[in-house]
Amino acid sequence: MAKSFHVGQNQGGEDMRSKWLIAAWVIGALALALPAVPPAHAQQRTIVIKVWTIGPDNPSKTRFENVVTAAERLNGDLRREGADYQIKVDGFFDTTDWAPYLRRLLLAFQGSDAPDIVQASAALAPTWSAAGFIAPLDTYVPKHQQFSDVVPALWAAMRYAGKTWGIPQDTEARPLYYNKALLKRLGWTDAQINDIPKRIVSGDFTWDDVMTLSREARQKNIIEAGKGYYHRPTQGPDWVQWYRSFGGRDFDTATGKLVFNKAAALRYYRWLRAGVDTGVIERDRLNGDWNRFMQPVTDGRVLFWSGGTWQWAEWEQQWVGAKGGEQWLFENFGYAPHPSHVKGGKPITLSNPQAYMVSAASKNKDLAMRLLAYTTVPDLDAKHAIGSAHLPVLQRTSQLVKNRFLNEVSYLLAYSTYLPPHPDLPKWQDSFYRGISAVESGSATPEQAVDVVAAEMQRTIGDKIIIE
Amino acid sequence: MRRYAAPLLFLLPATILILLFFVVPVGMTLYLSFTDISTLTFRNPKWVGIANYPTLLRDPFIGKILLNTVRYVSLTLLFNVGMGLALALFSSSVRERWANQVRAVWLLPRILPPVVYVLIWHGLTREAPFGLVSDITGISQNWISGRPWTVLVLANGLVGASFGMLIFSSAIKSISQDLFYAAAVDGATTMQTVRRVVLPMLRWPILFVTAYQTLSLLTSFEYILLLTDGGPGFYTTTVWALHAYKLALSNYFGNVQFGLGAAMAAFLVVIGVIVSLIYLRIFNFRELVAEPKVEVN
Repeated sequence: MAKSFHVGQNQGGEDMRSKWLIAAWVIGALALALPAVPPAHAQQRTIVIKVWTIGPDNPSKTRFENVVTAAERLNGDLRREGADYQIKVDGFFDTTDWAPYLRRLLLAFQGSDAPDIVQASAALAPTWSAAGFIAPLDTYVPKHQQFSDVVPALWAAMRYAGKTWGIPQDTEARPLYYNKALLKRLGWTDAQINDIPKRIVSGDFTWDDVMTLSREARQKNIIEAGKGYYHRPTQGPDWVQWYRSFGGRDFDTATGKLVFNKAAALRYYRWLRAGVDTGVIERDRLNGDWNRFMQPVTDGRVLFWSGGTWQWAEWEQQWVGAKGGEQWLFENFGYAPHPSHVKGGKPITLSNPQAYMVSAASKNKDLAMRLLAYTTVPDLDAKHAIGSAHLPVLQRTSQLVKNRFLNEVSYLLAYSTYLPPHPDLPKWQDSFYRGISAVESGSATPEQAVDVVAAEMQRTIGDKIIIE
Repeated sequence: MRRYAAPLLFLLPATILILLFFVVPVGMTLYLSFTDISTLTFRNPKWVGIANYPTLLRDPFIGKILLNTVRYVSLTLLFNVGMGLALALFSSSVRERWANQVRAVWLLPRILPPVVYVLIWHGLTREAPFGLVSDITGISQNWISGRPWTVLVLANGLVGASFGMLIFSSAIKSISQDLFYAAAVDGATTMQTVRRVVLPMLRWPILFVTAYQTLSLLTSFEYILLLTDGGPGFYTTTVWALHAYKLALSNYFGNVQFGLGAAMAAFLVVIGVIVSLIYLRIFNFRELVAEPKVEVN
């Protein structure tokens, strides 16, 4: 018993010692660890800023990544300022399509899940502000000096009903591209080819020339049927630009009403119909499949096509890598503004600037705007512009960017127009597009289509549209 | 009252499900169809009465969409039921081992997720040198654009046929063996056996499959959406349900018109009910569910 007691006591002594040792270690470790964590951290809050963005083109991923980088920088400054919070960006970059993205947004706006910051076309601001989804930003913008360097014309595109609804994210031009190699096979010299942009600007080269050249190329079997002229395969903002290039106006500044000019629409519809009838435009060009646009274009089988500057980055990164990348593009593709329909007419392109908007339901509007100010800086602006072939929004960025393509297309902005600021614009666009679809597929004559479109616009937009 | 307690209790779960997933949605759809709810008016929808319905009917192309729907449902149905029946007859006339293999293969399209299944179709139907169909036929074209209806009916039908196949094969199995012996004794050929013995016995399953498939085809549009998106061109393959979906839920500019879409959906409910009544009439439903005149054990 005594022996066992002795042993027990001895063991107990060792137990005690090791306990003390462990305790000492723990205290020591804690003492070492503590200075690394500032005492304030224990009370620091994390404020989540929800940010939803979309391309849908892959290279535009910097629309989201730049916000994340900006958040890191902002957090650094917040720490230095001794703020008791940090921010965390929670969101995504969508590469699917506009329709599902906007549907998701709509439901989020209506539910309790609205993102603080949403990136979309600035042209959606009238609709969303009228619906009460987004907040006016006029009181916030002057608080951040970063915004003062934004290209002034872009602010105009953010305004509706006397208020600013977005922070410019990027802009672009939508040029008419042409295939130089195919033109050469038509017998054109380099000088003639390089003259096309100038001739379009001076009004010497018109839509009729596009048609005539395409027909010639078809007759000489230089192109396959339907590959004289390609336009986008889906709905989009561009249709307004082509309607305008055929002499149409879509907005009456005096009354603030939308306008549908039947004569201009008829000219455009007839031009498209003639293209289909003569084998220059595909009957099923509106097939909804972008791959069926990109593949023939980058295979060098299409003579003229309307696209966007951002597609340059898509072609370079996703389509012509094996052929020599951007160098191949420069050798084979030319770009110009869209021509007019008459000799001496004005050239045109369309810019559909993207904007970061702040949702009306956001509880952190101040912080969201500060985050956007950190996003609107030259290095991030440049990174997005070069990576995605969009045009920058800051004036200083243009000096920073040494990029041949961006420099060569930036003059297009001189001919740029914007979408009209009207909440019912989508209805106008949907009707007009239906007309095009009906004409190209042969379901209606251009004359019938114009009447149907006019009647539909009158019906859906009511007294907010002038049919002329 | 107490004698009904047990039956009512047993009916309760099904009743709740029907209320929750059929009656309530129909009520909500009807309610929405009487409002102008859209992107612009999402927060403050206005009651507009039946205004959405005349708006729909005034669309000069609604007739085309209706015709497309009839075409889609009838062609696919014909393929579905016909193919299902042919497969059931075929697989019932070969050895069970082989029959099961055949059925398993035909079930593949059904167990594939629609997106994957359609991706395969997209791959098969591309221009040469990418597409298998172009390679085999020697005609290089995008077959979805070139023959959208054929592709739609085939793609849908190959999925749908397995449904009929399963129901019909099990129905054929349940036909009393004596009847086949009797037919053989009477010297009936295979065709005569099918026509005089099998098909009459399959009347009830054929009604069920036809009615069920009609209703599901009327409302289904996922394969059309994924294959042609209603195109190519102008509403070439746009059916009623797809048009409703696009109006109500899918617009490039986010300009969705729930009210108008709901009105279209409400039309579909009415059409569905009418079609069901017609089927019940044609197949003489009352007689089918009547007590058997002779008890066979």
